[in-house]
Amino acid sequence: MTPAQALMEAAQPIHPPPTSFWRRYVFSIDHKVIAKQFLWAGLLFLLVGGALAMLIRWQWAFPYRPVPIVGRLLFGGSGVIGPATYQQIFTTHGLGMIFFAVTPVLIGTFGNFLIPLMIGARDMAFPRLNMASFWTFLLSQLLVLASFFADLGSGGAGWTTYAPLSTNVGMPGRGQTLIVAAIFVTGVSSTMGAINYVTTVIRLRAPGMTWMRLPLTIWGLWLTAILNVLFVPVLGSAALLLLLDRELGTQFFQASASAVRGGGDPILYQHLFWIFGHPEVYIMILPAWGIVGDVLAFFARKPHHWYRGTVGAMVVVTVLSAMVYGHHMFITGMSPLLGEGFMFFTLLISGPSMIVVLNWVLTVWKGSLHFDTPLLFALALVFVFGVGGLTGLFLGDVSMDLYLHDTMFVVGHFHFTMAAASFIGVMTGIYFWFPAMFGRKLDERLGKAHFWFTFLGLTLVFGGQLLAGWAGQQRRLFDPFQYTFIQGLRGLNRWTSYSAFALFAGQFFFVANFFKTLFGRRVAPASANPWQATTLEWTATTSPPPFHNFDHIPEVVRGPHELSNPEVRRLTGRDFAGQAEALPGGGAPALAAGRP
Amino acid sequence: MSSRGIAQDGALVPGPAPVQDLARYRRQPRGAERTAHVGMAVFLGSWVMLFVALFFAYAFVRASADAWPPAGTPPLPRLLPGLNTLALAASAVAMVRAVRAQDVGRSRSASNALAVAAALGAIFLALQAVVWVGLWRQGLVLSGGPYPSVFYAFTALHALHVLVGLAALAWLAARARAGAAPRTTVRLWGWYWHAVGALWAALYVTVYLA
Repeated sequence: MTPAQALMEAAQPIHPPPTSFWRRYVFSIDHKVIAKQFLWAGLLFLLVGGALAMLIRWQWAFPYRPVPIVGRLLFGGSGVIGPATYQQIFTTHGLGMIFFAVTPVLIGTFGNFLIPLMIGARDMAFPRLNMASFWTFLLSQLLVLASFFADLGSGGAGWTTYAPLSTNVGMPGRGQTLIVAAIFVTGVSSTMGAINYVTTVIRLRAPGMTWMRLPLTIWGLWLTAILNVLFVPVLGSAALLLLLDRELGTQFFQASASAVRGGGDPILYQHLFWIFGHPEVYIMILPAWGIVGDVLAFFARKPHHWYRGTVGAMVVVTVLSAMVYGHHMFITGMSPLLGEGFMFFTLLISGPSMIVVLNWVLTVWKGSLHFDTPLLFALALVFVFGVGGLTGLFLGDVSMDLYLHDTMFVVGHFHFTMAAASFIGVMTGIYFWFPAMFGRKLDERLGKAHFWFTFLGLTLVFGGQLLAGWAGQQRRLFDPFQYTFIQGLRGLNRWTSYSAFALFAGQFFFVANFFKTLFGRRVAPASANPWQATTLEWTATTSPPPFHNFDHIPEVVRGPHELSNPEVRRLTGRDFAGQAEALPGGGAPALAAGRP
Repeated sequence: MSSRGIAQDGALVPGPAPVQDLARYRRQPRGAERTAHVGMAVFLGSWVMLFVALFFAYAFVRASADAWPPAGTPPLPRLLPGLNTLALAASAVAMVRAVRAQDVGRSRSASNALAVAAALGAIFLALQAVVWVGLWRQGLVLSGGPYPSVFYAFTALHALHVLVGLAALAWLAARARAGAAPRTTVRLWGWYWHAVGALWAALYVTVYLA
């Protein structure tokens, strides 16, 4: 053991695993258990959010017609979705998906599970804070669920909860208050998690795990955590002021008409929201970028193309993402000069994004591809993120945005990036790390069926939205066809809805696969490194890892993608080498010196 | 590499290298202490952003108002908040002394200094309450438009942070008296206390004076 390893070992002693049920599975401070808790909570809300999306699609395909099967149960008597209910449905769909489904799975699950394992640490820097983060998150989910039972129902001001609609003037019900409180509480949870992630990556990297040897997944999660640390508090203050407006009668966001003397400014809410909201877009995609960067390399059996370029581009995107929020507000009466500035930075982001995408493509280029489910999802992400990014160019341009603002084109665009790409990133990660989490491998046939339904479904649904928006259909309309100029889009909307129903139905392949693999009796345990990957969680410990992750803190000797190196093949007969693996006879001399 | 020695065969072995200034070396955080420092720095960065957003909101509301303060608004007092500024500044000095004392292991004087810092914090809250009650009686009520909204929301949010700090300092003073306050805990609550003080300075200048 090298001295550096000895120091890290001394700083992270092995604790005996807890034995009681509560300490082990419920109030656990083990990052792996907390990751699984986030996974369950997030997947549950993913299902809820998806079901709500089906109701929206039903409404757009067949307005005023009773919802089959569940209609009478949910909406009483006739089973028709009413306008107020419809508003709550699209509000909680957006909120639930963003804050309570994708964020917990992408950041809560993968952040918690992977950061200590991939950097060679025994746990997070602050394990108790980690536990608090999950329980705070659960509280926020309960607040959302409670809002459904409030008088006048849940929040109905859209996921952005724009004032003045979200103030007492627009939404007098207690449900909206609970929703705003839930946003605040989940923000507290995210911040706690993010502080932990940032500190852990800075302080607990194993010896030899330099910044330029970090797996791209960790880069993505770490940059995300930085954005969370800096910008979630901004959302927190917006939610706080909104709560004060609603509950104590302050006037930050209510304009003069509804205020007694003077007045606040609803535009102020939009500023605060989007100062957070635009970084949030990258919060939801950067971890997926990282995951895809690693997965493509492993399944193409090639080192990631221009690793440093991808890392640099991700850092630049992180910085730029904080400087572009105004492009959500081009039509709020913003000064044209300011608008042009925001447009410039917005379009500038396409530069580093292009570097990232090109590096993905060049990683796959001439690789020996293994078409397992994780690779299929990763390739699909390259496609849907590409479409989402390209349609973003239209919206980032002021003169185009004037026409496309608040149309379904916007909906299609952000669903391609935030929904399709993030969701596919989540699935890539789940299929890839399932063996490390649960010791079993998800079934490939069910996985591939799930993949095709998901990929084609997402593309058709959000593609249909892009087309409808291009043709002028406004977003969020209860009955779009009350406008004569949208009536011609009835067929398009119906086909989009049919695709959505197929997409939703296809998810049951995943549910079946998940439970069958997890609880099935005849499923064989997965091998220790089923994908022949190189990172520490596969190569430096058992799979699934023990409570303390590593018997000995590993010493990292190479980068994350040591694949198809002829020298490695000569020495080991394999086409890969683990990040901490000592090669027979040929290890680095500096490594050999410190060993007994 | 300063914390490692080099054995004769050239391999690195754990152990301190020669140290120029021993007192300073001992004050440096290491291992888990240093991790706690990094975590606290990240937290304070996050927390600062909360207030950056609030000050942004303040500037936005104020810039778009016709008159600030609006006509007919009772003037904010200057004297009591000024005294309060001095109280927090003195409290910060006491906090610095507490951290220094705890660093060299003199927990008794650290405990005294912490108690002084907490007491000054309590005085601050009392004076702040006097200011609030006075203004409320003069007719500056919370629902009277953006001006009182900003005033009450900001000062109350700050007071809430003072209250948290106050409780922590009192608890730490008791712990230090028993000799059971780790120096890092004292030091990091010190960071928090200074951040709350700096926030007050910004509030005092922008809300009361400007």
